[in-house]
Amino acid sequence: MNMDKPVRRVAVFALLLFFGLMAQVNYVQGSEADKLRNDTNNTRSFSDVFNNPRGKITAGGEVLAWSTPTGKDNPKYGRNYKDGKIFAPVTGYFNGGGSKVELSYNRLLAGTDKRITHQRWFDQFIGKKPEGGNVDLSIDPAAQRIAYEQLVNGTSRRSGAAVVDIKTGAIKVLASNATFDPNEVAPQKGEAGGKRLEQLDKATSVIKPLVDNGMSQVFPPGSSFKTVTAAVGMEELNLDENSQVQSGQLTLPESGQPLPNSHDGGSCAGTASLKGAFAESCNTTFGKMALDLGIDKLNAGAAKFGFGQNVAVEPLMKAAKSEVPVSVADLATGKTIMTGKDATARSGIGQENVRATPLQMAMVAEAVANGGKIMRPYVVQRATAKDQSEVYKASPQVFSQAMKPDTASQLRDMMRAVVSEGTAKNLSGDNIAGKTGTAEQGAGIPNARWFVGFGPIEHPRYAFAVVSEGDGDGAHGAGPIAAAIMRAVMKK
Amino acid sequence: MHALGEQIKAQIPYQRRNAASLALLVFAMVLTLAAFAEVGLARDGSIPAGLFGYGGGLVVLALIAYVAQLRFAPFADPLLLPLAVALNGLGLAMIYRLDLDTSHDRKVAELAGKKVIKDAADAPGQLMWTFVGIALFVAAIAIMRDTSKPDAKLSFTPKTAQRYTYLIGLGAIILLMLPIVPGIGAEINGARVWINVGGFSVQPGEFAKLMLVAFFAGYLVNKRQAMSLIGKKIGPISLPRARDLGPVMVIWLLCLGVLFMQKDLGTALLYFGLFVSMLYIATQRVSWVVIGVGLLALAVFVVTLLPFMAHVNQRIDIWQNPRPYFDGGCLMSNGKVVPVNPNTDIYKQAKVTLLAKAQQQEAAGQKALAAQTRMVGAGWWACTKMGGEYSDSAQLMKGMFALGQGGVLGTGLGQGKPWQTPLSFSDFIFDSMGEELGLTGLMTLLLMYALIVQRGMKTAVAARDPFLKLFAGGVSFVLALQVFVIVGGVTKLIPLTGLTTPFLSQGGSSLMANWILIAILVRMSHDARKPAPQAIQDEGMTQIVSLR
Repeated sequence: MNMDKPVRRVAVFALLLFFGLMAQVNYVQGSEADKLRNDTNNTRSFSDVFNNPRGKITAGGEVLAWSTPTGKDNPKYGRNYKDGKIFAPVTGYFNGGGSKVELSYNRLLAGTDKRITHQRWFDQFIGKKPEGGNVDLSIDPAAQRIAYEQLVNGTSRRSGAAVVDIKTGAIKVLASNATFDPNEVAPQKGEAGGKRLEQLDKATSVIKPLVDNGMSQVFPPGSSFKTVTAAVGMEELNLDENSQVQSGQLTLPESGQPLPNSHDGGSCAGTASLKGAFAESCNTTFGKMALDLGIDKLNAGAAKFGFGQNVAVEPLMKAAKSEVPVSVADLATGKTIMTGKDATARSGIGQENVRATPLQMAMVAEAVANGGKIMRPYVVQRATAKDQSEVYKASPQVFSQAMKPDTASQLRDMMRAVVSEGTAKNLSGDNIAGKTGTAEQGAGIPNARWFVGFGPIEHPRYAFAVVSEGDGDGAHGAGPIAAAIMRAVMKK
Repeated sequence: MHALGEQIKAQIPYQRRNAASLALLVFAMVLTLAAFAEVGLARDGSIPAGLFGYGGGLVVLALIAYVAQLRFAPFADPLLLPLAVALNGLGLAMIYRLDLDTSHDRKVAELAGKKVIKDAADAPGQLMWTFVGIALFVAAIAIMRDTSKPDAKLSFTPKTAQRYTYLIGLGAIILLMLPIVPGIGAEINGARVWINVGGFSVQPGEFAKLMLVAFFAGYLVNKRQAMSLIGKKIGPISLPRARDLGPVMVIWLLCLGVLFMQKDLGTALLYFGLFVSMLYIATQRVSWVVIGVGLLALAVFVVTLLPFMAHVNQRIDIWQNPRPYFDGGCLMSNGKVVPVNPNTDIYKQAKVTLLAKAQQQEAAGQKALAAQTRMVGAGWWACTKMGGEYSDSAQLMKGMFALGQGGVLGTGLGQGKPWQTPLSFSDFIFDSMGEELGLTGLMTLLLMYALIVQRGMKTAVAARDPFLKLFAGGVSFVLALQVFVIVGGVTKLIPLTGLTTPFLSQGGSSLMANWILIAILVRMSHDARKPAPQAIQDEGMTQIVSLR
């Protein structure tokens, strides 16, 4: 009996085993390689990042972040930031890991991004080191500086501001008064930098330096949220700016308590036009409107503005979630509490559990200024390889159509009325329109003072939102800050 | 009878291929030397001293092996020796690269009197074992003479093994059992496959593997007629007699023993796969394969159901889903995995609790107990408390990261970070190769293994004696299976088990056993390929046949 046939078959089987191995190696090193390299558990990408210079982060022709050789072995390159505290909410920090643009565009800055390596495949083939790409921001550095200065001067607690270009969604200002200097945690600081970062991260006070107040922190929007309530109400309840609405007393249906107005004169005396009630910020009008709408419709309407999601500015740079909750989980008992009628009325005036980031409120104003259309916000304008060839360019995209163009046009009028005859008359010479907000944050906690709007007043180009914590109201606590920022922004 | 001589000659067109062998060997040497030069240039910025010590050493050894082959087995397959040298050389270069004790920085630091921790990768040791391995190769082909003269004095041929089939089988089983014996057996890196002999750790399994092949070949040559012809036919499958099934069951039980004692699925798979394939070669009956594979599947299935064998289950679970196990994961009885890596609250809490316990013990004066408590891994401790099985996939995942880093072309020798993977120089050397040589390098390595296996199979086909056919087929297949189990393990094709990567892994036992394996194949290929005895006189009644 000849054994050659089975030997040949076993030989073929052995070849199949090798074929299996080859297929697996191809799969792992060919198609899975990128995924493995970017795995969060993979420390390789971090340990390599100090060996090559990183690209620059620029804005408006200014270099905001750049790398310099340290003259040491590890790290070979350090990272420097110009006016670190002012621009940290956008640039973020870099120490191997990172935040904000430093994190989001890490691979591009490090030169390991495909968009760069594909251009340099030959260099890579012969083993040349990666060359970092440069990232150019849409930020207006002069306005950002003024914003920071104004925010710091305006309060001893937290404050933040955001300005967006309404036609593109480009973020012009993203400033925060809780901030840190990324130079302190840069790689060249070594262990001290790591400790400083840990310290910043563990801040237990209300001011958290690593959490910027421009897009990563939510505040109760107070009356500024009436813009959203009005937009949803006008469309769902068939109202316009001239509709006569109730503006006097409102008794909350569950508790029987009245919903107070800030003042009982003027438009808030009994009935008024919607425009008048908006300009004078009558709580009762919008409390009732919310009751008429119901929390579900209010929630769904707000969602069109970006509430209820982490709005992505850049791939790994997402805003905190602004919310108009239908229900909240009680942390103490773990039970779900539905938003009742009274709570719905209070939600309509931006209280109760409604929360928003300044960026979110700027997007609300953007919808008003831009015919109801919100553009996807972004902060990175373009990115170039070291040879100046463009590897990325932001393309403006529609984020959502939050309301009808007609509704937006009426709301523009209403916002103008706020400045000309309403709660923000003190800003009437500043070529901006908007909505004030003064949110109560509980006993012993200063108010969250808002001013949310657009400018120039006639042909709007930018939308803004400013929040500042402190005593007093939005018109005086946040309005002047917004005016100063917008002056700088609109200069261009 | 002239015609017959011609006929035999025409059937065997083999010639001496020594020139080809030498040319390939030179290429293998150039490859190795270039690898050493690259390591030095990339790591230390200069041609390394090791190029002459290690590379040169290997060149001399390879040339000695070549001369021995030329002298004792001139008709041998020309590919086997160069392939083995190239694999051995590349492995040596990688271990040299991973052994930071050989780096320039280290030497400077050492000269400056600084304390340096010895690296676990051991290039000088590997060079020494390479020397021993090649010496064994030379000795083996010198001692193992032509199979055609089995009765000459002091001659030992592969065929001799047939006479001592059962003795060899017994020896193999004893070798396999040795690591379990207390006293001489040693557990290294969690695997109980080592014994201590005179200060060296030896893995007897590596040698037992070859002996098992010889035993199977001897046994099956005797029994194959009965096993292949007699039996009941049920449908398309003909079942063997119960008495022929007996030995199969013995081997099956043996593999189960390995599975239970060493909790090592890969080794069990290796031995059993080897046996089934040889059974198939001997009997040509698919029913044997079906029975064999069915039995093993049954055994594995039963094992995964047993609670005290959760380890095997976990290996399979890690293979399917390694992420939650990174730096420690806990497999609960309901099949869920709770991560207990140092970033988790569970770990941190356990750490605090353990520290408090240790301090308490210290305060109570129980120093030894406290030291023990301090050694306990917080993740493991927390997991055991929760009633789960602790395991860690960091090694496998780091190996995969190394492969990912390498990509298609690799970082280049000396330019990656393969040392981040634990055991990057032994179990995971294939992944280290993948990082620095890339997909291109790994495909080449796999092709080299495949070539050795196929040349071995070719030798089996060419062999004239049934025992030698089985023997050659068996050793070739066991090599293929071993590469499959370990390489498949470290590339996540199959669950990971700790086997050595032939010729690449650091370790003396593996190198010696594999060089003997190559020697056996070289010897058999010489026998198979050399021209048949030829009649030197084709007239008259009496034939004088040259046996030379």
